[in-house]
Amino acid sequence: MLKHWWKILGVAILFYVFVAGLLVPLKTGISAVSPQKVAPGESFTLEVTGYNSRYTQAQGQIRAWLKQDEAHALAAGSVTVLDDRRLQLAFAMPEYLPSDKKVQVLTLLIDDPVDGAHVLPSAMFVTQDSIAPGLAGSAWTAHPVEGLHEEWTMSYPFRNILQETIRNAYFHIPMWFAMIFIFIGAVISSVRYLRKFDPQDDLKAAAFTRVGILYGIMGLVTGAIWAKNTWGAYWSGDIKQNMTAIALLIYLAYFVLRNAFEDPDKKARVAAVYNLFSFAALIPLIYVVPRLYDSLHPGSGGNPALGGEDLDNTMRLVFYPAIIGWTLLGLWIAQLLYRADRLRDRLWMNA
Amino acid sequence: MKTARYLLPVLCLLTITPAFGQVAEGGDFMHSIGKIYVVLAVVLAIFIAIILFLVFLERKLTKLENQIQQND
Amino acid sequence: MQLIREIGFLLQKEFTLEWRQKYAISGILLYVLSTVYIVYSSFTKLEPAIWNIQFWVIILFASVSAVVKSFQQESGQRQLYYYSLANPLAVLLSKMLYNTLLLLFLSILAYLALSLVAGNQVQQARPFALALLLGSLGFSITFTFVSAIASKASNSATLMAILSFPLIIPVLMTLIKMTAAAVTTANPAAIDLREDLLTLVAIDLLLLGAALALFPFLWRD
Repeated sequence: MLKHWWKILGVAILFYVFVAGLLVPLKTGISAVSPQKVAPGESFTLEVTGYNSRYTQAQGQIRAWLKQDEAHALAAGSVTVLDDRRLQLAFAMPEYLPSDKKVQVLTLLIDDPVDGAHVLPSAMFVTQDSIAPGLAGSAWTAHPVEGLHEEWTMSYPFRNILQETIRNAYFHIPMWFAMIFIFIGAVISSVRYLRKFDPQDDLKAAAFTRVGILYGIMGLVTGAIWAKNTWGAYWSGDIKQNMTAIALLIYLAYFVLRNAFEDPDKKARVAAVYNLFSFAALIPLIYVVPRLYDSLHPGSGGNPALGGEDLDNTMRLVFYPAIIGWTLLGLWIAQLLYRADRLRDRLWMNA
Repeated sequence: MKTARYLLPVLCLLTITPAFGQVAEGGDFMHSIGKIYVVLAVVLAIFIAIILFLVFLERKLTKLENQIQQND
Repeated sequence: MQLIREIGFLLQKEFTLEWRQKYAISGILLYVLSTVYIVYSSFTKLEPAIWNIQFWVIILFASVSAVVKSFQQESGQRQLYYYSLANPLAVLLSKMLYNTLLLLFLSILAYLALSLVAGNQVQQARPFALALLLGSLGFSITFTFVSAIASKASNSATLMAILSFPLIIPVLMTLIKMTAAAVTTANPAAIDLREDLLTLVAIDLLLLGAALALFPFLWRD
């Protein structure tokens, strides 16, 4: 039992990841508003659809603003609660906006003691014909945004396009990290083979590579499903998708190469050399080239999206364990493959 | 032959994933309840991949067992 | 010093061999010319962006067929003879150097041929020439080493393509991006070469380092 501690640890971590990843609720958010366009001077009722909101509990204590910037926000005249999910906010848009842009984008901010403060960026577009920031008047500063309820709760952030799929951060992104760690395992085994020429190290390298490919495929498939429902297509030719596909091609070629040899020593030696060379080719593929291209993935344009900067502290509590858990599971799978291969080789020798 | 066996799980997964897509295009199923079914589909895809891997390992071990029987 | 002398001798040997077997080099030249003609006759009018991609695709395929023979043309005994005389690094470096020169020659030829039939689309010569040089170097390093790997197996021509195409993609993508700017804009201030150049040099050095470290293990047989 003792020598299996890391497998138990990996399974326990994954159990935690699945439970926490699927059960922790999302923060309250705003999933839709209507209308989205108004003219200056118009009085209108804004229909708001909330997500995970409890507006009936908060009735009478809800405040709302259409915010232009830190100094200028227009407070809602009256708030009507229809049910837990739907609100009606009455606004009177002044004749002039404190902005010198023709089209001004406003952010909707709702605050109540039950759900806390929640926002919808780019909720409203106001097109003004005559631009006069000086005439904007006191409506924009009379009710400043103050006293927001921003208590920390155990919840994941609400993003409008992602919604609940933000949980995929624990099931899609770690595949990629675990793939790299497992390929590094294959590199270490290959180096050890070239130093000692122990056939077992070659079997280990092959097993690691197989699991790396399995993780790469899982990453691509889960990514495709996620992409279909957020970006609109399974395959958008995104640089990171292409790079993972190329990495898989490189490592599939590793097995074609292995099968091209009869002599086991020669096979092991050439395979180890190719494994190391292809890992050297993989480094620019993963860390350098994606920086040169635009990507739909978060964190593009200058960093290879380690996912860190797009996570809040609650998500980190699950995301980092998820990486460790998936990696340990991969090591376990690799060990099973290696043991099966070693048995096969023993049988060959005895036969 | 070995590579062909390796590719089989890939092909299976590729045929499964469009099935999710068709539901999404037909109705609003995938986008309902805050797109939670996308998470379900992702978790299922991982589950299927691991099950396919287990089948692969099972066949490998069966072969070894047969070999042992022949040797005895 | 000894290493440089050995590289010099081996390089001379490569040239002599190529000169004696003229059919190999003339085959590659004909290959380049006919691919250029096929590209021309199937497109007739090439947009600059397409011209750029077609150019690199032609170079890619010509390079693979030019380099694939590096380690195969030598029979077992002759190889054994070299191996007993020369340093493995000298063998690898001389072949890489020779292939770089060969590929540079091929890419200039492909450029001239493509300019002749589809018009010269290059608006900025300096970045384009740099890309050709670094591209030949990167292709030569990768393909020479992969041909050394593939030559250990029996059906090495197919293996060479399978092994080398995925490996060359980072170099190829950086090259295409670098020359795309040189082809589409005439304004030299509009392109920032530093990042692309740095990436290419880094990739080339990384692959060269890996190849040099690993070649002694392929060598002994």
